[in-house]
Amino acid sequence: MTQQELRDLWFGGRALPLMLAFSVLVSVMTYLVATNRALNFLEQREAVNLTLQIAVAVGSLIVLLGSGDALSGERERGTLESLLLTPASRRALVVGKGLAALSLWLAAFAISIPYVWFMGRGIGLVGVALVGGFVVGSLLALFLAGLGLLISALAGSNRFSLSLGLFALFALFAPTQLPTAAQQGWAGDLLLRIDPFTSGLHYLGKLLVDAHTAGQDVSWLISPVVAAVLAPAAAIAVADRISIRPGERP
Amino acid sequence: MPPALETRGLTKSYGSLIALAPLDLELEAGVVLGFLGPNGAGKTTLIRMVSTILRPTEGSFSVAGVPDDQPQEIRRRIGALPESAGYPDAQTGEEFLRYHARLYGQSGRAARATARTLLEEVGLAERSGSLVSAYSRGMRQRLGIARTLVNDPQVVFLDEPTLGLDPAGQRQVVGLVGRIARERGATVVLSTHLLAEVEEVCDRVLILHHGRVVANGTVAEVAERAAAPRRVRIRVPAELRDRAVAALADADIDADGRPDEIELTIPSGVLREAASGDALRKLLAADVPVLGLELERGRLSDAFLEMTEAG
Repeated sequence: MTQQELRDLWFGGRALPLMLAFSVLVSVMTYLVATNRALNFLEQREAVNLTLQIAVAVGSLIVLLGSGDALSGERERGTLESLLLTPASRRALVVGKGLAALSLWLAAFAISIPYVWFMGRGIGLVGVALVGGFVVGSLLALFLAGLGLLISALAGSNRFSLSLGLFALFALFAPTQLPTAAQQGWAGDLLLRIDPFTSGLHYLGKLLVDAHTAGQDVSWLISPVVAAVLAPAAAIAVADRISIRPGERP
Repeated sequence: MPPALETRGLTKSYGSLIALAPLDLELEAGVVLGFLGPNGAGKTTLIRMVSTILRPTEGSFSVAGVPDDQPQEIRRRIGALPESAGYPDAQTGEEFLRYHARLYGQSGRAARATARTLLEEVGLAERSGSLVSAYSRGMRQRLGIARTLVNDPQVVFLDEPTLGLDPAGQRQVVGLVGRIARERGATVVLSTHLLAEVEEVCDRVLILHHGRVVANGTVAEVAERAAAPRRVRIRVPAELRDRAVAALADADIDADGRPDEIELTIPSGVLREAASGDALRKLLAADVPVLGLELERGRLSDAFLEMTEAG
């Protein structure tokens, strides 16, 4: 199942345009960050952090797009019923599609490596940045793959699934745009820690900008880890409820 | 050998709406069942339930001897073509079949062989490398039927496989259905609106109306139940026709027809054999020689319309 889903995703035409768009976006953003760095508007550590955060955020977004389309897309194309008719379990179907969606993150991360290396070379930050980025990005990708599959399994249409997924993603990003004052105090701290996105990106910031050790701020990873476990688990749990609706015709 | 399909009180309802009233059905192996009914009669609902896509509200069923509490085992033994099934446009016909063969646990090599054999069987071997998006509707339906056969199923469910096809496409699909039954020995449940194709390939007919079974039997039995008028043509010497008509009129049998032929209209509810026997006895008693006799078969379309137009 996973093998075919990977094949569909990568040779079926969806993944390559997404990766191309990702490459262009990361290139442009890295260029802007590098320009700011050259003008001394940014410290080098901040430049690495910014580049990595963009890669993690957009890479995760791509995973959401991939997983959000996974089941509702099959439903809309009229191919879901044929899949459900095979002896493959619904859970295997969800897991296969989830792993295929996660491959998008791995590819996005691989594309980001040269940019991170370019921004971080010379200050011994590349290794930490890549490991930290991979860990945080993978947790967020797992979370969004699960979330996308969950929504996709329950949604009646692809449009609804993708709209709801993007809405959820923007809601998760929203705390990063709050004024600094709103992020302080116990309520602000709680908000940042509960949200897997802000929490994970905050951890990366501590690691790269403040030069903390990996274990020093590990509590900031609680939320991403919990989300990375719960969202895929929920998607697998609702897999048995995937069915053709009364009167549903492709 | 267990029945190919057995249902006991199988019911599906959505709130107060009954999609399928309790259904008891037993279908022996190797039979081609024509599954008829107007839109919304419950045909697709029944096929989806017995192919484990929909859960019944009540009742139980077994397919090829496997009870409904083992849905994965049932799916291993059946092939089903949903109504208006979709196809991945980015795959070739062979890739599509290979993928499904792999989902049934076949190795890569076996899946490739299965795909090629089936494409040959449904007449798509020359287009095996073409993208499905380039297939015509008829080709897609044949590909869909090939997909239902990747696991060499014991029971095949085909939900409106001729929908939207031109007459040539319909002929190809009907021919294919007949071959599946003959050459593979599979039981086929064919849901369709084309009554002519049912008469051609089906052994038995089940007619559903408003979720209830209104007819179940062989094609001839169901057709015979039609109340629509049927006819018997009896050839008699032209010079004795008037005597023949008079003899039949004495017996309250209405006769009509050409100068050398008497056409009898058989009232509803009367078997054509009985009616024609009565007529023959009257003619022989009146010393009218019978030169020929032709019984017009009851038509399935008459039976279908009669059973589904009321209410």
